[in-house]
Amino acid sequence: MATLSVEVLAPEAVLWRGAARALVTRSSEGDFTVMAGYAPTVGDVVSTIVRVEGTEEGEVRFCVHAGFFEVGPGEAEGETRATLLASVAERVDEIDVARAQSALERAQGALAAASSSDDPAAYVGALEAVARAELRLRAAAAR
Amino acid sequence: MAGGQERVLRRRIRSVNSTRKITKAMELIAAAQIPRALARIAANRPYRDGVRRVVLEAIEGDRFSARRFLELPEHVETASVLVISGDRGLSGPYNNQNLRAGERLVADLRARGTRVRLAVAGKKAAPYYRFRGIDVEQSFAGFVERPTYADAQAIARYLTTPFMAGEVDQVLLVSTRYHSAGRQAVEVRQLLPFVLDEAPEAPAEELSGYTEFEPEVAKLLVDLAPRALESEVFSALLEGAAAFLTGQQRAMAAATENADELGRTLTRKMNQARQDAITTEIMEIVGGAEALRSGR
Repeated sequence: MATLSVEVLAPEAVLWRGAARALVTRSSEGDFTVMAGYAPTVGDVVSTIVRVEGTEEGEVRFCVHAGFFEVGPGEAEGETRATLLASVAERVDEIDVARAQSALERAQGALAAASSSDDPAAYVGALEAVARAELRLRAAAAR
Repeated sequence: MAGGQERVLRRRIRSVNSTRKITKAMELIAAAQIPRALARIAANRPYRDGVRRVVLEAIEGDRFSARRFLELPEHVETASVLVISGDRGLSGPYNNQNLRAGERLVADLRARGTRVRLAVAGKKAAPYYRFRGIDVEQSFAGFVERPTYADAQAIARYLTTPFMAGEVDQVLLVSTRYHSAGRQAVEVRQLLPFVLDEAPEAPAEELSGYTEFEPEVAKLLVDLAPRALESEVFSALLEGAAAFLTGQQRAMAAATENADELGRTLTRKMNQARQDAITTEIMEIVGGAEALRSGR
């Protein structure tokens, strides 16, 4: 039987690993719904909420800020393996709203400071931090 | 009188014992931190291997587009070198092994006419190179025993940006690989351009299939290369931390043993000195009594 095994990996931990019906992610080229039997693919992941659907614990969501995904044949016969690699990611049900809120405020402060300075890297960095904090709050609000 | 020597010895024993307490404590602390450092390496491994696999697939998928990440120019004009060592000493040969390997590499590169941009991680590195007249362009320090991913990102950004801009032809890493508790070895590795045979076990048939890329390889690699470097630097930092702690534990265990030995020797000497003093005193008393008796 065709099955899909999904891994969500971060630099410090295996965030999730198991069998699922589908992995829903977003690349710079568009949205992807990876299911068993999906063609081998390598792609990027843009800041989004990644969903692993149809697992033993239902739907598991991850807040992913940037990364890559890879789809290929798994070890078992007929198995499709989908790996999501995210340098920054967290399970949506583990997001600390208060912390995310204060991170947003901090990031907005940094953005205000950076927009009056001449450092483009700091500005981009602050913009990304704001986007990260907003995504986190959006993900938490939707759970 | 001989009592003076006894006092001196007693003071030395006390000092040796308090040093022993410190080295013992450092040994225990290092030993306690090693399992955590090893657990972090293990937790990082799936991600590291995943990133290596993705890089390999992207390169195999479209070698032509990937050529700027693969080909080393015949003459390397400029190379970036990152040397990872420790923030603290008292870790046996760990710091010096890395630093010396880095020094040799810099000398080799310069002999070939390559300009070297040297970056270091670890507080011990910058003074070492400065003393030897080698310029350190950037020093990252203060986190080497407990590196975070953000630390690796900062270092990787510093290394990748000039490579992507074409200012640097080659990025090299000098660090200690943690193979096992008994075996750690300093290694020089090329991070950029990518070296293919370094990728993890990748069965050829698995890659021979047709893989789709979203976006196409040229664009994907621009994003992927910096991430891959972050991942490699992070893994190297984690392994370096474990190697540092292992070195420290071993060095402090040896120091504790030496202190034990020294304490034993000194105690024996002190006992002897005390015995000598007592004997002398008895002799004096006996001699005095004899003199009194014969004087009567």
